[in-house]
Amino acid sequence: MNRFYLWPWKAPVDDEVDDELTFHLEMRTREYIDRGFSTADARREAERRMGDVERVRAACRTLGEGRDRRMRRIEYASELRQDIGFAWRQMRRHPGFALVASLTLALGIGGTTAIFSAVDAVVLRPLPLRDPARLMVVAETWKGMPSDVSAGNFTDANAGITSFDGGLTAEQFSSFNLADGGTPERIIGGRVTANYFDVLGARPAMGRTFRADEDRPGDEQVVVLSHRLWMRRFGAASAILERDIRMNGRRYTVAGVMPASFDLTTNREEVWVPIAFTPERKALHDEHYLTVYGRLKADATVQRALAELEAVASRLRRDFPKDDGELTFTVIPFTDQFVGDYGKRLLVLLGAVSVVLLIACGNVANLLLARGAARGREIAIRTALGAGQWRIVRQFLTESAVLALCAAAAGLLFAKWSLAAVVAWSPPGVPRLEQAQIDPAALGFAVAAALVSSVLFGLAPALRLARSDVRTGLREGARGTTAGGFRDRLRTGLIVAEVALSLLLLFGAGLLIRSAIALQRVDPGFDPNGVLTARVALPAASYAEPARVVATFQRMAEAAAQVPGVTQASITSYAAMGGGGGSNGLLPEGVPFALKNLVQSVLRIITPDFFRVMRIPLVKGRGFDDRDRSGGQKVMIVSARLAALAFPGQDPIGKRIACCEQRPDGSADYKVVVGIAGDIRSRGPATPPVAEFYLPMTQAPADAWNWTQRSMYIVVRAPGDPGALTQPLREAIARIDPDLPLFDVRTMSQRLSSSLATARFNTLLLTILGGVGLLLAASGIYGVIAYFVSQRTHEIGVRIALGATPGRVVRLILTQAMRPVVLGAAVGIGAALAASQVLTNQLFDVSPTDPATIAAVVVTLGTVALVASAVPARRAAAIDPTKALQAE
Amino acid sequence: MPDTTAELLHGTLVALILKTLARGRRHGYAIARAIEEATGGVVQVEDGSLYPALYRMERSGWIEAEWGVSELGRKAKLYRLTPRGRRQLAAETAEWARFAAAISHVLLAT
Repeated sequence: MNRFYLWPWKAPVDDEVDDELTFHLEMRTREYIDRGFSTADARREAERRMGDVERVRAACRTLGEGRDRRMRRIEYASELRQDIGFAWRQMRRHPGFALVASLTLALGIGGTTAIFSAVDAVVLRPLPLRDPARLMVVAETWKGMPSDVSAGNFTDANAGITSFDGGLTAEQFSSFNLADGGTPERIIGGRVTANYFDVLGARPAMGRTFRADEDRPGDEQVVVLSHRLWMRRFGAASAILERDIRMNGRRYTVAGVMPASFDLTTNREEVWVPIAFTPERKALHDEHYLTVYGRLKADATVQRALAELEAVASRLRRDFPKDDGELTFTVIPFTDQFVGDYGKRLLVLLGAVSVVLLIACGNVANLLLARGAARGREIAIRTALGAGQWRIVRQFLTESAVLALCAAAAGLLFAKWSLAAVVAWSPPGVPRLEQAQIDPAALGFAVAAALVSSVLFGLAPALRLARSDVRTGLREGARGTTAGGFRDRLRTGLIVAEVALSLLLLFGAGLLIRSAIALQRVDPGFDPNGVLTARVALPAASYAEPARVVATFQRMAEAAAQVPGVTQASITSYAAMGGGGGSNGLLPEGVPFALKNLVQSVLRIITPDFFRVMRIPLVKGRGFDDRDRSGGQKVMIVSARLAALAFPGQDPIGKRIACCEQRPDGSADYKVVVGIAGDIRSRGPATPPVAEFYLPMTQAPADAWNWTQRSMYIVVRAPGDPGALTQPLREAIARIDPDLPLFDVRTMSQRLSSSLATARFNTLLLTILGGVGLLLAASGIYGVIAYFVSQRTHEIGVRIALGATPGRVVRLILTQAMRPVVLGAAVGIGAALAASQVLTNQLFDVSPTDPATIAAVVVTLGTVALVASAVPARRAAAIDPTKALQAE
Repeated sequence: MPDTTAELLHGTLVALILKTLARGRRHGYAIARAIEEATGGVVQVEDGSLYPALYRMERSGWIEAEWGVSELGRKAKLYRLTPRGRRQLAAETAEWARFAAAISHVLLAT
């Protein structure tokens, strides 16, 4: 408050107090003189009655300043009320303008608010964990690639470090057959160490989490349910605690239920059970399948944790050169890992939708300028009545703010609707996106966006109008504020800005569209059409014997092949575009054993018809058949890429490769290469093929059934509509074991397209935004050019009267209209080339500075701009010179 | 020298100013004189308290001021009651009546 004393209008209060006190003292003195006092005595008596005059003066000044501040506030508030009332009446008097302007803005404000809500839910909102910033993900790296952690490495790391509060926790994602009265169901769950929930810092909504002793072998039959599963499967029954449920053929006692907000991994676990490491498991340093978390102690740093982990890693590298020869550990903040690059993608979208809002602001500014022309008289009168320029600017800004807030109200409805669409259409796996909603934060954002835009679109017109000449305004009446046609910098500036901004958007959309087309053209190496895929998993409790597992899957392949409409059927451990498929180190025969000589390759266990179902060509050699029995000669088929890596420049057929298991005597187990299969893009069209190899299911290593958790894909080829076979296939499997649910049933085309879901979603959104931006820019260009033509009716009339042909008039207008368009395009290209870098990791086979895309975008934009200005240009050519000249 | 003085009871100065201004606008000195005359000289306004009270009342919105001309033709700051000041006067009068009745009830009891 003290700063007010420094204000220049301090003086009036001082003078006021001085004048008043002087006057009072004079009057008192006069009073005492009248009573017969001498002049000097009268003066003294008057001063005595006043007391300490300086103190009185100071008190009055302070109070007077407070009074003046209060008056200014009251005055300001009452002016604001008047301005808001006036603005409201203006809008009601011109509903057409109000509707067009606020709908334009509502589009921009609603769009930004919707995307903001998504950003808020996914990125900004803190995780429902205690102190999430201290939660870390500990991973291994192998040859520079991040990898999951083996049970042995986890156990040794946990014993060798002190930086983490309560030690490290490990989670193995696995799936469970939930058979609990109703239809059996396949659900995703996590096997976790007992300290899992404590380390994550999450508390149950009901019941308890795991006790410290519950992750010992034999004590692990307890389960914590996710809120989602509890609602869906158990009807949110509060009596669920301590009840037994059946999973994978075993009983688990329900210990607790987590809150709905505890949904933190893209795997979306629905249950958690304790992971019970046996001593053998804890000694196993190969087989990397654990996700490891740790909570840094208050005094620990990432650096210290890394140093401790490096000490452990160096020990492991020495003790287990075969398994851990190149082991290092990494520590990544959980939040970074959780949000991944979705945060960046969403921010790109937020940027794009803000650009649309800016273009909308440009259009509304233009509308305001056009309406301002009609309000020149009103401004002139106000100015003549003593309103200062700032007062008029304030009134116009208030009108803009009222307009923008109305637009925000409409925009919120639009945001609610478009957010629902974004959530529904978004690719699966965006963390927490479904929690996005139009909440108070979104409301605040919409209001802020409205106020910021009201200044953006309102300030320039307000300044322009407030400066317009009073006398001109009064003399010319309603046609008050005119500016010099095409020399009107503000309006041409709007065209430049709108063209530049929409070029930016279109360029981004164009790059993504080109990527999408390129992806569509990629040959995945197999024929996804007419293929149905489904998963089935055999519970370990009833299918312990590998021989029984193989026999059951074989019966399933035969049963699937018998389903009417199916031409071929096959079983595989890893369908393309599906989960699974771990990496194995292969050692070609004759190459000395050393880590660097191992060829990394993805294993797929299959039945013989797999290549026929998928239509993967055999480049050389033969496929699997009945000869490849259990106990017979062990064989494998390699992909063309693996053949090139393992046997460069040689014919691999007949060569031997060691992999996957050891002979009982500990020596390498060799398989003979009998065929070469074509490369396939198993991770999606955007990912180049990797080295892969195939083993016949009959010869699968016994351990493989633990790696795959006895879970296999059934893939069938069915000409016609493969989706229609879901039910018959389900029935065929149920005849083999009614307790086995068929899950993740999808056609191969669906798998292929969902591997592109994120890319497609971003492309779709950016294309919509680009289209909206282009339409807004076009209507902005049209508005400005139409205004210029109307301002130059007289001049054009004269030209036509002097013999200018319609063609010449059209050319004249178009030439002048294209100048700001060309300038805007130039600015836009510069901005687009700089900004497109943010898209780099979303592009496929297109450079972020792709000249063809720039050319296409410029041509599109130029054409649209030309069409938008051609309408008013043709109107100019049709001007009747006699009427135009009479009108003046 | 005034022969009779009475300390103004706390808060009564404001009520007296309001009452005085209810009869029309006046400058500060005239308010003081009016109070002195109306009380037959029993109440002597302390000039050093009068002006801070006036500024405070102005800030509260009970009175407003404008520059005018005094009876002797001098420039003077004239105060006027606002509608809010009129309501405040009614409230303070009622409060005084209650207070005075209570004190009288004690002191004048027979």
